[in-house]
Amino acid sequence: MIKKRKIPDAEIPTASQADLAFLLLLFFLVSTVIDVDTGLGLTLPEYIPPDQQVEVKINPNRMANVLVNENGDVLVDGNIEPVFKIKDILKPRIESKITLPLNQKMIVSLKTDRKTVYNVYISALDQIKQAFFEVRDEYSNGKFGKKFNDLNQVQQEDVKGAVPIIISLAEPELIKK
Amino acid sequence: MTFEKRRAKTKQEIPTTSMPDIVFMLLMFFMCVTTMREVDVLVQFKLPEAKAIEKIENKRLVSYIWVGKDRRIQINDSLIDLGKVEEIMYGKKKTLPELIVSLRSDQNVDMGLITDIQQALRKAYCLRINYSAMIKV
Repeated sequence: MIKKRKIPDAEIPTASQADLAFLLLLFFLVSTVIDVDTGLGLTLPEYIPPDQQVEVKINPNRMANVLVNENGDVLVDGNIEPVFKIKDILKPRIESKITLPLNQKMIVSLKTDRKTVYNVYISALDQIKQAFFEVRDEYSNGKFGKKFNDLNQVQQEDVKGAVPIIISLAEPELIKK
Repeated sequence: MTFEKRRAKTKQEIPTTSMPDIVFMLLMFFMCVTTMREVDVLVQFKLPEAKAIEKIENKRLVSYIWVGKDRRIQINDSLIDLGKVEEIMYGKKKTLPELIVSLRSDQNVDMGLITDIQQALRKAYCLRINYSAMIKV
């Protein structure tokens, strides 16, 4: 009679599995970067060669000129203003043009010097965008009872039509040699 | 008189058999979410701060231009001259028409350089740009 040899149980020890998994988990936890890109969006105008540029006369009533010089001084329509007041100056002017057709809406023109610091330019642009965003929020709050970001697509388009963000970057001047 | 302490006879242990499963689940999540950094940033920069910030939902469309505090410009993996910006960005625009250019620039750079980059982008028809900025609290 053949005696059956007892085969030892073939098992993988699983006691340390949790530790291994933790180790891997830690690695991925540490190496993960969930960074969302945030910033100020803007659409640049198309490039037109200087000799083909046409000057369009715009009613000064719908135009707001924001000038930032190299010292960081801000000029809004000829008056010296602090950067953080740009928003309050622009808001009523944007609001007053909500009901007007598209070709009479507010245009904000932003112009800088070549030596202006980037940071000041961003703060000025930020103020202008905030002014537009707050008018949008107030308009949509009044019409739909919600903030702009909570509206559905159709309603958002409606608000965008009423309060379009028109920011014009002034054509850089040629450097005089 | 002695008091006998009453003790519940049920076990007081947390079952740990399913712990690996939970951990693996977490692991899977992080493995899926992780994106390894694709490019080495060669310039030093500190982003400006702003409030009226928007998020770029579609990361696939974004192409970065870094501008360091020493005015060096980096696109993709290498530092480049200002004159090359137009050519490179035009090539990118051709392969991806909905391109969004994210400008990650140091806050103390002068606007002259930024304007020059913008002019190059305009010539390359990369018109959608995004000034990268941190949220101001």
